[in-house]
Amino acid sequence: MLIIKNLSTSYGSIKALTDVSFKAESGKITTIIGANGAGKSTLLRSITALETPTQGSITWDGTELVGKSTESIIRSGIAHVPEGHAVISQLTVEENISVGSLFRVRKNKSDVKKALNDVYELFPRLMERRTQQAGSLSGGERQMLAISRALVSRPKLLLLDEPSLGLAPLIVEQIIQTINDLCRKTGLTVLLVEQNANTALSVADHGILLALGKLIADRPASELRSDTSLRAAYLGY
Amino acid sequence: MDIFLAAVFTGTSKGAIYALVAIGLVLVWRGSGIVNFAQMGQAMFSTYIASTLIINGYSYWIAFVIALIIGSILGVIVDLLVMRPLSNKKGSELLDSQAMKSTIPVIASLGILGVLQSSAGMIWAAEERGFPTPVSNLGFKIGKDVAPFTAFDLFVIGIVLTVLILTTIFFTKTGMGLAMRASALNAEVAKLSGIKTGQVRTLSWAMSGCASSLAGLLVTPSANLSPNTLDLILIIGFTATVVGGLDSLPGAVIGGLLLGFIISFVNVYLSPEDVFLAIMATLLLVLIVKPQGILGKKDSRRV
Repeated sequence: MLIIKNLSTSYGSIKALTDVSFKAESGKITTIIGANGAGKSTLLRSITALETPTQGSITWDGTELVGKSTESIIRSGIAHVPEGHAVISQLTVEENISVGSLFRVRKNKSDVKKALNDVYELFPRLMERRTQQAGSLSGGERQMLAISRALVSRPKLLLLDEPSLGLAPLIVEQIIQTINDLCRKTGLTVLLVEQNANTALSVADHGILLALGKLIADRPASELRSDTSLRAAYLGY
Repeated sequence: MDIFLAAVFTGTSKGAIYALVAIGLVLVWRGSGIVNFAQMGQAMFSTYIASTLIINGYSYWIAFVIALIIGSILGVIVDLLVMRPLSNKKGSELLDSQAMKSTIPVIASLGILGVLQSSAGMIWAAEERGFPTPVSNLGFKIGKDVAPFTAFDLFVIGIVLTVLILTTIFFTKTGMGLAMRASALNAEVAKLSGIKTGQVRTLSWAMSGCASSLAGLLVTPSANLSPNTLDLILIIGFTATVVGGLDSLPGAVIGGLLLGFIISFVNVYLSPEDVFLAIMATLLLVLIVKPQGILGKKDSRRV
């Protein structure tokens, strides 16, 4: 279980997150929704130490993450797909995926190959393009690649930052469904940040609504989905 | 014809050394976004140590290996003691600006160069020394004629070729090579893949230190050793890097060889005084026509 307690993170004098607390159950999808600038990405970036929180604690399965380095957090079984189809465009598709499992090669060589085959099975299109440069992929393929890079490390907790950004609805549906299946089948814990609240809430178990860095609602996804007044006030539809 | 061949051979062996200097600069640039002007100071220092060992009766090869190790260690020390603290330090808003962030380490590298040169001057009393070659430095004899290239030229070309092949294999076939490319291209994605980017970065400084001390060992036999003999080689090597593309290893080699040829042809057909003019003209031409360098990427960072 991921437990976030009284978390605040600032950029200089600007407070991006103020006193946020919630829990994300293991094996479930928790979605974090909210408008632009609500602090959703900052929250994920604080979990993997890309930003340093000014106060509060983040524990994953009982281990405190605040104060650890990004590399050691990732190595402890947490994967983070940052915003904007984060792939390395000058490397090939297969190199991009392999980067995600480099740290496992020494200890778990046989599983590294299997993990690679598993993500190819999940996204067969990447298999076809494995020798192409990642820069030549379409937006949807890049997002699949970024997710594959994360999955190949065999994470227990997956942080996904706006996978739908700039993608066609059909591809968004496909990617979200893949994540959903993965969570249900393997017990992967997912923290899904989305601006596209409807899609996110349709697959998530639990929903967190943020506005201007503060926690507004922490409820089951279905409840959040049917609360028209919250939606009108904070999501604008 | 003889003169022409002589120019080609000298150009190749000199160019190979410039290529080595350029490879050292590119490694650090790609690893940490810093142009390390202290590089040939580090090389000078390790060459002095090699020369001291040889004077004290050790064999060339022992001195050679120790110089390479010391060159790598110096690279690591410069990164850990100076460059890393500088890039981690959060100062005022002015110091945190992108322009200052890329300038400060370069200025620091010039400072390190000064420190290395004056300490070498203190330790070795700034005496000029010769430096031996492991193989003959005299032209091959073909009948009565003396060929325009020497066994040492072949040795230099062979070593640089080996370095090239080894670095290519390292970057394309090994996990550490992939980690280094990933860290250089996108540090955030690399970190998020569990790569220890700090260690990878320091390794690139070690490799660069090794390559440049190798260049120092190979160039000193023809230049005599003094605390600032290698300054000129650094300038030429840096020009080669800019000509070839600051972020491209093959570019560094092409730039190095190109400058080797230009220098040796100007030397032979015009006059040695025009060499610098030719170097600067080449630099200017490349900067006007293709500012990112021959093999540099257009969207990548530039100096």
